[in-house]
Amino acid sequence: MSETAPLVKAVDMAKKYGDFIALHPLKVEVHSGEFFGVFGPNGAGKSTFIKLLTGQLKPSKGRIEILGIDAIKHPQKVKANIGIVPESESPPSYLTPVEFLQFVAKLRDLDEVDAKVEYWMEWFGLEDKRNTMCKDLSKGQRQKVMLASAFIHKPKLLFLDEPFANLDPIYQRKCREWLLSHVKDGGTIFLCSHVLEMAERMCNRMAIINDGKVLAAGTVRGLKQNIEETLEDVFIRLVGRSIEDVESSPTDVENEEE
Amino acid sequence: MSGASISSISWSDTLDDNISEESLGTTSEGKKLLTPLRGVSAFLATFKVMYKEEFRKNVEFAKARQMVLFPLLLALVTMVSTIGLQFLVGDSAAQTSETSVNSFTWQELRFGLHLPLLMFSLGMGTFAFMGRDALVRRTASKNHLLASPALQPLPNSMAHFAYFVKDLVFYVMLILSPIILGMGLGKGLDTLFGITTPLEYSSLPWTWFAMVVTLAQGLVLSFLASALWMRGRPFTIFGPLSVILFGIIVGVGAIDIEFILIGLQIQTEKNVLIGLIGFVSCIGLGYFSSMLIIDDFDVSVVEKGDLFRPMYGRLSFLGRGEIRIIVAKEFVDLFRSGSIKKMVVSYSIPLAVLLGMAWLIDFAEAPIPINLLSYAPFLGFFGFNFYSWLTILDSPEFMNGLPVKVPQLIRAKVLVYFIITSWISLIFIILMAWRLDEWTSLPTSIIVMFANSIYIVALTAFLMGLRPNKAIFDASIMIWFWIGTVLPLLGLFLLSFTQGDVSLYGNWWERASEDGLAATASMYDEGMVRQGYVGMLSISAFLLFASAVLWKLMDRRWGAAEFDN
Repeated sequence: MSETAPLVKAVDMAKKYGDFIALHPLKVEVHSGEFFGVFGPNGAGKSTFIKLLTGQLKPSKGRIEILGIDAIKHPQKVKANIGIVPESESPPSYLTPVEFLQFVAKLRDLDEVDAKVEYWMEWFGLEDKRNTMCKDLSKGQRQKVMLASAFIHKPKLLFLDEPFANLDPIYQRKCREWLLSHVKDGGTIFLCSHVLEMAERMCNRMAIINDGKVLAAGTVRGLKQNIEETLEDVFIRLVGRSIEDVESSPTDVENEEE
Repeated sequence: MSGASISSISWSDTLDDNISEESLGTTSEGKKLLTPLRGVSAFLATFKVMYKEEFRKNVEFAKARQMVLFPLLLALVTMVSTIGLQFLVGDSAAQTSETSVNSFTWQELRFGLHLPLLMFSLGMGTFAFMGRDALVRRTASKNHLLASPALQPLPNSMAHFAYFVKDLVFYVMLILSPIILGMGLGKGLDTLFGITTPLEYSSLPWTWFAMVVTLAQGLVLSFLASALWMRGRPFTIFGPLSVILFGIIVGVGAIDIEFILIGLQIQTEKNVLIGLIGFVSCIGLGYFSSMLIIDDFDVSVVEKGDLFRPMYGRLSFLGRGEIRIIVAKEFVDLFRSGSIKKMVVSYSIPLAVLLGMAWLIDFAEAPIPINLLSYAPFLGFFGFNFYSWLTILDSPEFMNGLPVKVPQLIRAKVLVYFIITSWISLIFIILMAWRLDEWTSLPTSIIVMFANSIYIVALTAFLMGLRPNKAIFDASIMIWFWIGTVLPLLGLFLLSFTQGDVSLYGNWWERASEDGLAATASMYDEGMVRQGYVGMLSISAFLLFASAVLWKLMDRRWGAAEFDN
């Protein structure tokens, strides 16, 4: 990694909903050629984090800059130049995959739209679904369409929120290899997940967050206290809940009489 | 060597947001940045896919056959109406605007064409609310292009403007153009069968254009109102108040409603300039309304206390079955989404306008004997919009995995409608009885009002299930809806005239034509009054019976359906 200016930088970035703090103030910098992962339990603030950086949400506080663009003032310009794979959003239900990919390519004013669309349709094995409306695709196929829409303009910077959640193992591997080669070629990836295996396999740096706060950050190896410790151990240690805690949590809601 | 860094800081250590406008020093590393589409290019790219989306949504519900049938049916009905024009305006009245005995003037007929069209379009143009709903539900199983600005480089305002134009074009193609085609066919029968149709071919393009402007006007006013509402206070207070005030001003005749209907003016004057100014103004106002929509994709995460259990507790009168659970859930949705406020306001505004008008007009002097019983049946009609709104509050797909069926959800929504609106309707009818001093007909009015409200919502729910918004282009459904609502409503409305100035009932049109608001008559026929009461109560009893039958048949019609809206 060279000494360069960051591609992503946020200062004092925080998000509040009334009294509820979704993300406490934090500062973050991500540099070119990095595969940076943010991990945390459900509801830790990972998706809020990614939505703030990608201009989907406005922060309650702080400043955000992506690729030299102020993400608060010019969110559309940021969105045009990055790729976003959201956690649970599907492509528009009543468009076919081809139509949706053409739409996102046109919005970015790309050249050779048809060729690019065909390439990614084939890459994701969706050729036989070209005339099927997205609502009639399986969850995995819809996820492939969303991934294709994020890759179509080969953005330097990709934001992925649980990108492989619905993919079969074959496409998980295919996507993983593409992402790693993208980083090797100078791309940068910001990933949010709770699947720690992804950190071990892909990330060169990672952070663990919980309750909207960064608990620890560094290289995957650096976060482990000793050689025997697994990333899962690190996660549980930092998040502050043991398996025993989880198992002893009350699971039955008392049936109350009216 | 630099690497990614991240750390939390305490709130007290954060800097003032406005401290610096300087760049934070990020870079694109010399890569040429893409510039997202703007202006006309962005509009065209979005409009094209939105149009496809709309078409497919409707085809999915109504099936392609019914989608073709709907405009054909409209054309057919208009063709028959065109032939019947000679009876409405009188043979000699064609193309004149002079008042004729026992006939409508052309201007009245034009008015009768434009006013309902404006009302229809006012109900269909709340695009800012639709956009918010699409955004909130973008992570549900169905996603729509209106929510795409959250993720794609497209301004929210442009998506809304494209949606407005798409809806306008869609309605023009599926509603207005078939109507004009029907008029043309009706006129064509002139030569084929020797029927005299008092209409000129040359007036058809004008009628089409004038109706397009009226449609655009209704859509854009509704769009503007919803966009202002989304901006929060003070618009959420002053908006409804000004609508009520404006309605009253028009209602009492301080402003001529014909002046407000731009389409009517265009058709009357046949003036190209008025037409162009009217149309461009509507599109311009649509663009302005869309600019009021900001890029706010926040779906608030607000921690709330448990609302479900208290709500469930309050619904003890519904027994202990699944319905009570679903109704409680629907109420939680209504309160949490903030829709309850919008719905109550939109239900109350027309009633407040009617009440305001009643305050200012002395109905005893009016040529048409409108009385308390005339209002009662019409309250039910607001139920259609209200029920439609209830069906889009939440995505019901999750219920497919629960031990409940679609008819139970439909019934729950009907109950919610009734619980929320019945007290408003009741207050309105009591205030109206007080204002008109018609206490004797109040009990009958209440029965008529409730019977009609229950029936219209039951009929809507039975015919359209969880997707009433998509049913308007389904010919087979709309035929039944029309037959099922217009006939009883007309019966109740006409019978209501027996409760006042009955001599005027027989000849009100002639009297009004001659004397206008000065028309008077005072004969009072008790036998007719009694018969009128019996007739109205009989129709109400029939409507309640029909509602019960529809309630029962709900299982047969929707029992095997999946939860999908």
